[in-house]
Amino acid sequence: MSQETQPSDIGQYPEGDNLKHFIENRKRGGLVWRVSFQIATILAILALIALLYNIINGAFGYVAIQNKVDPNSLVLAMEENQMLSSSGTVSSEDDNELVDGIEGNPNAIGFFGYAYYNDNRDKLKAISVDGQAPSRETAESGDYPLARPLFIYSAADVMRENPAIGAFVDYYLTNVNSVIEEVGYFPISDDLLNEATTAWSAAAGEQADALQAYTANPAEVSDHDISISGSSTVYPLTRQLAIQFRRAGFQGGLDLQQTGTTAGFRAFCEDMTTGISNASRPINRAEIEACESNKRTPVEFRVGTDALAVVVSSENTFLENVTKDELRQIFTSAETWSEVNPDWPNEPIERFIPGADSGTLDFFAETVFDRQLEALTEPELIEILKANLSTGLLRRFDAEAPLVERSQPELVDLVLERVVEQQVVQSWELTESIFDRAEIEETVAAIPQGELQWRSWLTPAFLVTPQSSTPELAGIRTALFGTLWVIAITILVALPVGVGAAIYLEEYAIMVANPTLRRINAIIQTNINNLAGVPSIIYGILGLAIFVRAIEPITSGMLFGVSDPTTANGRTIISASLTLALLILPLIIINAQEAIRAVPNSLRQAGMGLGATRWQTIWSHVLPSAIPGILTGNILAMSRAIGETAPLVVIGASTFITVDPTGPFSKFTVLPIQIYQWTSRPQAEFRNIAAAAIIVLLILLLTLNASAVLLRNRYSRRLS
Amino acid sequence: MSTNGTPTSNGKYALDLQDVHCYYGSFRAVKGVNLKLQEKKITAFIGPSGCGKSTVLRSLNRMNDLIPGGRVEGRILFRGKNLYDPDVDPVEVRRRIGMVFQKPNPFPKSIYDNIAWGAKINGFKGNMKELVEQSLRSAALWEEVKDKLDQSGLGLSGGQQQRLCIARAIATQPEIILMDEPCSALDPIATLKIEDLMRELVKNYTIVIVTHNMQQAARASDYTAYYLMDKSDRAGELVEYGETDQLFTNPKDKRTEDYITGRFG
Ligand SMILES: Nc1ncnc2c1ncn2[C@@H]1O[C@H](COP(=O)(O)OP(=O)(O)OP(=O)(O)O)[C@@H](O)[C@H]1O
Ligand SMILES: [Mg+2]
Repeated sequence: MSQETQPSDIGQYPEGDNLKHFIENRKRGGLVWRVSFQIATILAILALIALLYNIINGAFGYVAIQNKVDPNSLVLAMEENQMLSSSGTVSSEDDNELVDGIEGNPNAIGFFGYAYYNDNRDKLKAISVDGQAPSRETAESGDYPLARPLFIYSAADVMRENPAIGAFVDYYLTNVNSVIEEVGYFPISDDLLNEATTAWSAAAGEQADALQAYTANPAEVSDHDISISGSSTVYPLTRQLAIQFRRAGFQGGLDLQQTGTTAGFRAFCEDMTTGISNASRPINRAEIEACESNKRTPVEFRVGTDALAVVVSSENTFLENVTKDELRQIFTSAETWSEVNPDWPNEPIERFIPGADSGTLDFFAETVFDRQLEALTEPELIEILKANLSTGLLRRFDAEAPLVERSQPELVDLVLERVVEQQVVQSWELTESIFDRAEIEETVAAIPQGELQWRSWLTPAFLVTPQSSTPELAGIRTALFGTLWVIAITILVALPVGVGAAIYLEEYAIMVANPTLRRINAIIQTNINNLAGVPSIIYGILGLAIFVRAIEPITSGMLFGVSDPTTANGRTIISASLTLALLILPLIIINAQEAIRAVPNSLRQAGMGLGATRWQTIWSHVLPSAIPGILTGNILAMSRAIGETAPLVVIGASTFITVDPTGPFSKFTVLPIQIYQWTSRPQAEFRNIAAAAIIVLLILLLTLNASAVLLRNRYSRRLS
Repeated sequence: MSTNGTPTSNGKYALDLQDVHCYYGSFRAVKGVNLKLQEKKITAFIGPSGCGKSTVLRSLNRMNDLIPGGRVEGRILFRGKNLYDPDVDPVEVRRRIGMVFQKPNPFPKSIYDNIAWGAKINGFKGNMKELVEQSLRSAALWEEVKDKLDQSGLGLSGGQQQRLCIARAIATQPEIILMDEPCSALDPIATLKIEDLMRELVKNYTIVIVTHNMQQAARASDYTAYYLMDKSDRAGELVEYGETDQLFTNPKDKRTEDYITGRFG
């Protein structure tokens, strides 16, 4: 009954060029979507970059390490101790005893101040060190290794405010060379002395003339006091000049202490209790900054040079020159000369050294024993441990693993951890570390005992150590276990329940004929869809009310007798898992429904047409076909659950816990809570480990997702 | 309309439809069908699109139950028992009365499992391999697939898939096989193969086939039922039922004659 319809007068379609344009125009419509897609892609990539940038930025970078105890001083103390306790060593505070011991004994060796050697040139021979013979020139230039400069420090403001100090410094510089040899040090060259005088004039400024007048007549500034502390090496020199200053008429207070150079600078710069500081080394950056932050610009005055002479008796024929390394051996472990150098006689070494209290011994040790902690042998490291740790602690470490059996690096670590007590005092982000390297180095240089170190906060140790209040020692072991437990149980609960519900809704609910039941099912369906959008905090409140409180006997494990009834409560892994299961249930149900709905009806007909029950058909054909979709939903749900923080905070996850969870009824914490807690700490280092923890969380998520994707792909392949 | 399904043979009846009405929700799709299906014969259902052929066919093994709102009134006697009695389990009905669908729908499983699954769930005890081979042979598919039994059934051609579905149906050894346009997606050669197959199978089974292909109905079937939609209430009804030869050469009803001679419209 069909009628031929002519392409006639009722209308027409575009032809020719019109058709081309028409098609072009229609294609342009697709451009909008392509641009949208590109924008979305760019945004996603930017977000990813920002995320990675922020995290990786925090997890890697430089740190400034500060030692509570200077490792060099540990090494020094150990070496000095070895030196003093070696057999064949005579130690005396009285230099005469040393001279007497060495004199006429070809196997003897010793050291003391150069001036003292000078007085005994007839009996003793000073030998070269590293090829440098001791002399005023080699000492002043620093070529002779056993020499050090002597300084006094003051500040312009101090000198102007306290003319007694200004005058004393001037007096010091004018008279030092006339007393210095008597005290036992090398005088400085005229050039250096001129430099010092010029520095004084510059500091004194307009008051220079007035101050110089006081120098000539110190009595006029007697209404001011002078307070000096610092190096014990410079002390005798300053003391000598102070005595003369007083004789010249100064009546004011004169307090002179020997505290050591470092303590002297502290008193001068930080506490500002002194006006002059004696020093046997130049002031360092940190000390200058400490001074400047107190508006004191330190001015340096070189006043002399100290040198040690290594001496043997005039009868000694084999020693002319020693290296520093030979010196070290001679004064510590070696017993005979030939042990150190085969050319030398096989005779016992007899050592004569200044007493432990003298600055001379320290200076010698500092210069000769410049070994690093890392270079020490095992017995030496153990010696350090024994000298610095309590016996109880030592016994504990020995019980963990006998000290003598530990490797050298292990012992070094132990010393660093327990004796040196390394701490991170400042940390920098990756970008800062790369681009502001110079600035960082400066900052670290200003930190006393500060050391720059490259640090990855994400280390194997970070994964396996529990929480700690010290960021360097903190790890995520507990949180990691917590997360794994919580997620495992969550999925174990939510997946079967969710998929079951989806099967009912998709396969059975539609067959229900009873209109009331149908309406109820429809309401349930709507409800599930809405629940997927409920804020997670509400699930937290629900979980708190139901799982933590209402069914506490079950969730605390008390009903099963697995928990200690005095401490158990409902804030356990099982409560968290049930709460999260509720949270992700709608997600799982909706996704599973979608997946089940996508299975073609023909498959169900095929199954049931063969005489299978509905359930057999679902189990054998519908579910396997739906599994890829169900797994996708599960991945989404799992990712959501792993990242959830709020509901778990509400139900009361622990924020500080160091015990691994052992089962569903354990107290717990999870990664996001740990991260949240760390980011809210004031110390910057907690943010670094938070970043490291986020990386772990991301890796965990990606691994779980990847395994689910793999599983899904395997299923899809089997189905096609 | 009580005489439209007059028996025309002395053979036994496989199914006896008595005043069958089919509904989808409140819509009556088919009304007042009376029909006695001859045992071990091929009966063809013909008629224009939408007249209710599939609906009637599905009602024969209660597949209509699977359609939300699907409902059947009247009696369909199978071995003297009404299929729609409350104490009749539709699962058992479908186990006795198999079905082959218009679109081939093999399971996304191996060829072997496609056949074995139905046997397994129906409690088959015995040599499964034998059963699979025998069913595939009966469906004239064995030679083509014997080397790839472990490959997916979805990897076969449309005609092969349809024969696999037939093999799957006969593996459960039903008494009646219902086929809803089994050849509509197939080329003439595959169609002829299926027709040959039906002629072979009808020695042991009762077959009901829905087809739009007049030649097929004329060639392959023993009996033919012609349905047509009643324009007044849009419900399908059985117009004429009889031996195929007689219905095609000498139709009693004017509407049948119009249809088979192509004057229908
Ligand atoms: N699942 C269903 N839900 C509601 N109405 C249906 C459903 N299936 C079929 N119908 C209706 O029932 C009537 C008969 O359909 P049926 O599929 O039985 O026709 P048919 O004769 O098989 O047609 P065709 O030759 O096109 O397959 C049609 O009006 C159709 O719209
Ligand atoms: Mg049909």
